[in-house]
Amino acid sequence: MLPGYPYSIVNFLHYFFFYLLFSLPLTLSYRNTKVINFAHSNFITYGMYTAVFLHGLLGNTSLPAAAAAAFLVGGSMALLNNIAVFRPLERRGASPSLVMIASMGLWIMYNYLLYMLADVAHFFSRKNFVSYSKIAYSDVPELSIAGFTLSQSFVASMLAALGLVVALYLFLEKTRLGRAMRAVSDNPVLAEVSGIPRDTIVNLTWLIAGGVAAVGGAVWTCFSGTITPQSGDAMILQVFTVSFIGGLVSLLRTGLGALAISFIENVGIAALNTYLGVPTSFRPFLTFATLLTILIASPPLGAAGGLPYRFRRRG
Amino acid sequence: MASILEVNSVSKKFGGVVALEEVTLSVPERGIVGLIGPNGSGKTTLFNVVTGFHVPDKGEVWFRNQGGMERIDGLNPNEVFARGIVRTFQVPRLFKNLTVLENLLVTPRNQLGERPLAALRRGWEREERELARRAIELLKRFDLLPYANTRVSELSAAHIKLVETVRGLMTPARLYLLDEPAAGVEAGVAHRLFSLVRELREREGLTFFIVEHRIEILTRYVDYLYVLHNGKLLAEGKPEEVISDPRVVEAYIGGG
Amino acid sequence: MIDVVGFLVSWLTLLGIYSILALTLNFESGVSGVTNFGKVLFYGVGAYTAAALTVYLVLILNGFDVGRTPPYSVEGIVALGQLAGQNPALNLALFALSLVLAFLAAGLLGYLLSYPILRVGPAFVGFTLLSSGELMRIFLQHFEPVGASKGLMSIPGPFAWVPEPRVRELAFLGVVLALLALTYVVMDRLVNSPLGRTLRAVREDEVAALCLGKHVPRLKATVLFIGSGFTGVAGALLAYYLTAVNPGMFVPAVTFNVWAMIILGGMGNLRGSLVGAVLLTLFDRLLTFLTPQLGITVISPDYVRWFSVGLLIVALLLLRPQGLLPEEPVRTPALEELEVALRGGGSG
Repeated sequence: MLPGYPYSIVNFLHYFFFYLLFSLPLTLSYRNTKVINFAHSNFITYGMYTAVFLHGLLGNTSLPAAAAAAFLVGGSMALLNNIAVFRPLERRGASPSLVMIASMGLWIMYNYLLYMLADVAHFFSRKNFVSYSKIAYSDVPELSIAGFTLSQSFVASMLAALGLVVALYLFLEKTRLGRAMRAVSDNPVLAEVSGIPRDTIVNLTWLIAGGVAAVGGAVWTCFSGTITPQSGDAMILQVFTVSFIGGLVSLLRTGLGALAISFIENVGIAALNTYLGVPTSFRPFLTFATLLTILIASPPLGAAGGLPYRFRRRG
Repeated sequence: MASILEVNSVSKKFGGVVALEEVTLSVPERGIVGLIGPNGSGKTTLFNVVTGFHVPDKGEVWFRNQGGMERIDGLNPNEVFARGIVRTFQVPRLFKNLTVLENLLVTPRNQLGERPLAALRRGWEREERELARRAIELLKRFDLLPYANTRVSELSAAHIKLVETVRGLMTPARLYLLDEPAAGVEAGVAHRLFSLVRELREREGLTFFIVEHRIEILTRYVDYLYVLHNGKLLAEGKPEEVISDPRVVEAYIGGG
Repeated sequence: MIDVVGFLVSWLTLLGIYSILALTLNFESGVSGVTNFGKVLFYGVGAYTAAALTVYLVLILNGFDVGRTPPYSVEGIVALGQLAGQNPALNLALFALSLVLAFLAAGLLGYLLSYPILRVGPAFVGFTLLSSGELMRIFLQHFEPVGASKGLMSIPGPFAWVPEPRVRELAFLGVVLALLALTYVVMDRLVNSPLGRTLRAVREDEVAALCLGKHVPRLKATVLFIGSGFTGVAGALLAYYLTAVNPGMFVPAVTFNVWAMIILGGMGNLRGSLVGAVLLTLFDRLLTFLTPQLGITVISPDYVRWFSVGLLIVALLLLRPQGLLPEEPVRTPALEELEVALRGGGSG
């Protein structure tokens, strides 16, 4: 029987849904904007905290409401980043590296801003927001299948992830705007000539990317035992590695990456645990090893730089 | 004259696009050989394969070294350079935030001061002065001395193109692959450049393989001409014969 | 009565340590183009190497069984405090040894980590180094022998045997400044040499550099070895200065604090890094001083400090990305030769 069965399988699927929600927007954002946004994890964390503040300050127990609010928050953050920082830098001819460093600055800012917000919220409500416990929503069911229960967050993340995949597919393939978006990512110059305003596409991309990632964060609040302002950052390694597997441009391969990483992190670590006694908290090391392997064996040379150097024994 | 470079049946595909198909050619030592063809015919790809930028899907590339012919396809670009093959880029790849002089001084191989421990001490200063003098001579020759201390990012397009070619001549190599050295440069300077090429061949025994678009300039200086079209070798021979070959004329008018 | 001398000594010591970080980061990212988002990793490795080595050896060499009284236990900490001043030779020897080992450990780690990132673009370089830093922190939080999340305390400093505290601090400051000077000289020599010129070329266009025969992978590995080595030394100095290390000290914000310094000072200009370090540590001290004065008691001042670091980075990149001091041409005799040629007459 598979190691850790059935929990590792359930977790594997569970994480797969979350990684789809977190990483597909990242790939989408790079594809269309060519910006490597290290502040991406902030969308996730702020999505979590939108739900947390709604729950802790206003007593909200509706997940769809939290998710909708999260979408607005995440989307606005992304738009703000673009309008205030990325676009001016690009207009000035800044190199992609510079824009990337700027996104790092934003990451730090958003991180500590959230800590400050948590402090303020604590001041007004006497509740501790720096470490918040799992939220139980009133309008998401649990499912019982074959003798065991699929938790609330499993159902919610599954619905959200599948909904995202379907929506993205329909949007990109069937709508005019979606096809314009694909045109921009494949060939920005040509897209410009054909009358599609790149600016609009870029803004729309950021809105979707930030919004969806934040929704993922909102759903996460009924999964994770404790929520802290570091919760989104705790997953950067996984979220980015998943997108790297997709070369930062392929949505399909990002999806496969989500499958691979959640498999490695759940079934893989369970196997290592059972047969070699490796503690399960070593999960991120496994993902890191995967990242290193990808970088050495098949470096994502297309996206964002690469050296035509081959490691051989000759010469 | 024995050949210094031999390309045997080289093929290269990118995705579904065939860039080179069974290209076979050779460059004699001390020769000045030209490579022409319409846009997209694969000239730069051929240079990329010879210099280790790409690995050919099929075929081999051979280079004459001290011990005889050595197979060099698949070597990394820095290893190809180490064997004495220098290439310039069609779209100049100069180091933008470095000055013209610094760009030239980066080129020479195995500088003593490039080794970390040696860099800490001062033993490399003499070699540096020699290289600087050589660079200054080269700059003087092309009226570039006034720009020696100017950042490349501040140069005009024509000057950038010129520096790209001149930089390649800075290091003592045996085979030079010049990719459109005179494009965008005014005619007088272009002729000075090709005269230098001729001179280097006579005086130092260097070999040149040149891609050029301006056929009227090229035909005056090369011994032999190859024509590429759609990744295949279309024609070869002495310049006068090749340019009057009806297939070549058609390729340029039809496809160029 | 404000202790001005005390304030100056403590500020200068921290400034010295941070300056080493800024110089090395500028060398790696400003001059050579290796986007190091994992600076804190090597800082932490150096700090922990020095700390662990010192506390364990002090206990062992004084006859303690570290199995029963490990240095992170209460008894161990008390023992360390008592033993600190007893053997000057031991303290100094361990100090010197720690510096060397911190250099080697951090440098070697930098060299090894360069391997997977040799061929990929700056985003992957930065991200991999950032993740390595985070993984190290997680590892240290669980690793018992170095005190897990509590870390190590009561690290006996090199001058712990000196009776007068002020003299002790000044002596340590002297060591820090000496090491800073050494770092500066080394970096300056390397940058103003053919190696420095080649590294800048790699930064500008690594593919072109490769085609011009430069062994780009080896160059990057060398840069990370040297840069990380000196960073490790800075980490060791930090451990001795604070007499304690714990994983919470080595968060990504530290890396970006250093990034703010080099962006502010001017990337590619070593003196700029010093200026950036001075300005940022001053700004940091000011903020720590002012925030309670402004009555902002609701929010922890730490958060405000780190937030402003991020804000500073974004603002600088938007308003003045080149920083305060511009990058200067490589200072080699070639410039003298050029001057001679320009004076001697026009074109040939």
